[in-house]
Amino acid sequence: MPEHEQGTATAASIRLESLTKRYPGQAESAVDNITMDIPAGEIVVLVGPSGCGKTTSLKMINRIIEPTSGRIFIDGEDVTHVNADQLRRRIGYVIQQVGLFPHMTIAENIGMVPGLLGWSRARISERVDELLDLVGMEPSAYRARYPKELSGGQSQRVGVARAMSADPPVLLMDEPFGAIDPITRERLQNEFLRLQSNIRKTIVFVTHDIDEAIKLGDRIAILRKGSKIAQYDTPEAILTAPADDFVADFIGSGASLKRLSLSRVRDVELSQWAVGRLDDDRAHLRQALTNSDHGSLLLLDENQRPVRWVTGHDLTRSGESLDRVGLPAAATVEPHATLHDALNEMVTSRVGCAIVVDDQRRYQGIVDMRTVMRAIDEMRESSRARDRDTAGQPAEAG
Amino acid sequence: MTFLDYISGVPAYLEREWSDLLELTFEHLLVVLVTIVLATVIALGLGLATYRNRNGARAVLTVTGTFLTVPSFALFGLFIPIFGLGAVPTVVALVLYSLLPIARNTITGLRSVDPAIVESAQGMGLSRRQRLLRIELPLAWPVIMTGVRVSTLMIVGIAAIAAIVNGPGLGGPIFQGLSAIGTQRGFNLAFTGTLFVAMLALLLDGLLGMISKLTTSKGL
Repeated sequence: MPEHEQGTATAASIRLESLTKRYPGQAESAVDNITMDIPAGEIVVLVGPSGCGKTTSLKMINRIIEPTSGRIFIDGEDVTHVNADQLRRRIGYVIQQVGLFPHMTIAENIGMVPGLLGWSRARISERVDELLDLVGMEPSAYRARYPKELSGGQSQRVGVARAMSADPPVLLMDEPFGAIDPITRERLQNEFLRLQSNIRKTIVFVTHDIDEAIKLGDRIAILRKGSKIAQYDTPEAILTAPADDFVADFIGSGASLKRLSLSRVRDVELSQWAVGRLDDDRAHLRQALTNSDHGSLLLLDENQRPVRWVTGHDLTRSGESLDRVGLPAAATVEPHATLHDALNEMVTSRVGCAIVVDDQRRYQGIVDMRTVMRAIDEMRESSRARDRDTAGQPAEAG
Repeated sequence: MTFLDYISGVPAYLEREWSDLLELTFEHLLVVLVTIVLATVIALGLGLATYRNRNGARAVLTVTGTFLTVPSFALFGLFIPIFGLGAVPTVVALVLYSLLPIARNTITGLRSVDPAIVESAQGMGLSRRQRLLRIELPLAWPVIMTGVRVSTLMIVGIAAIAAIVNGPGLGGPIFQGLSAIGTQRGFNLAFTGTLFVAMLALLLDGLLGMISKLTTSKGL
């Protein structure tokens, strides 16, 4: 499938040039002269208070809303006046309400755009399975189902798969996780980041949630009314040096805590913990626990998946089987999770630390308070270093 | 003679006139089918043309609604100078009667499609026509079919009145029977005519219900 290989590698840059949307009968423009460069392969998040024009700006990129003036370039090509339907088949689009077609099966939903593009049946069906796999849904179980049989989280996964069906270089996402419960949202965000690390598309993402923006964005554009860019920079730079009071207010309090969202679990050094196997001999396990400086032991199953936390006391209770004593090994995070997520898990876990597992749920290590403190220290140190550098430069006029 | 006496005379009559009655029922069915097909085509067209235009839709509903307010006797009669007698004025009048339920349900059904679904279809690059044919119409379909069923039920009854313009169908025996009411023969004609009309209505309704179910996606 040469076309496919050609598709996977591509991501396209986007340039908005003096883009304006004015509705008749309204004094102020909904979007007033926005100019913005979106680099290929990055996630750019448009964030701002409601009514600031962020969604309008997004919808002008695939011309669901036609701009009043200004130009849109995708990969250098001026697409402001090309055939809108043709254009949209090259741009994935995900909205908050998902908008799956209820009368079509999951496979038909995902295969819609490839069908419009004239792919063969065999190729479409192969692509559907590939995408369902990619978003973590078993193809044989879900292909023939209808949208009404899916949960909110599953629907949104299918929505994302559908948007990627024809392997478009650009994905537009309008608050895709906005209507989903917090726990599922967290999981979907992490899956989304993992997905993006494989597919490397150019993604424009709209949200009103600054925490989501910090977590997902390679760059964030903070917009004020009329889609005026207040600051367009990396999350780190925005958190460390907000351009003005509007940005500072929008970030809100706890900027340093929010910076924990910028470090991923995979980037920090994990602590190791005393571990044992469920089928190990108890005396052996007690010995392992005594040798460690921890108060409890983490038991893994035969696939290296965490199962229970047990204490020395639990190990002496001979009547119960090992998978029933102690506490369940909840509070797990994946390497893609942020330290903020890990801290969250840690605080809610009764053991006070979060277990890091890979995507097969195999044990990797532990994140505990010391790990988080170390990361915070490093961040402080680097921002202090930056402040020193800035102070050393001659002050600019204005 | 009591009602029961009259009834007891019906079976013998049925046996004697069976093939005539079947033929009339068939004529009746044919008139209804032709009417419904024509009315569905016209009302669907009107609905599609106006569902996104508030004034247009209101105009369609007002006009088709007005047809329904004309007493059926009068409407059939009014067409005599234009179309003469027989099947043509019958079908024309019946089509006018059946427009409103279908047009109204078409408009309601298309308007009740979730805008988010239409927007995501648009965002995926489906043209206006593809959105209508592949997304909006299939989603509105069960509602439209309900309109067709209501019209059909209504038309089966009204078609009997077409006998006053010499229209085909079961109206003939009913009117003959009514003019001879008080006699066993009059009762036989009116009673069996009415009975067959009712049975035909139930049969068609069941049939359309089945068609509706078969042509509606299981996902809805």
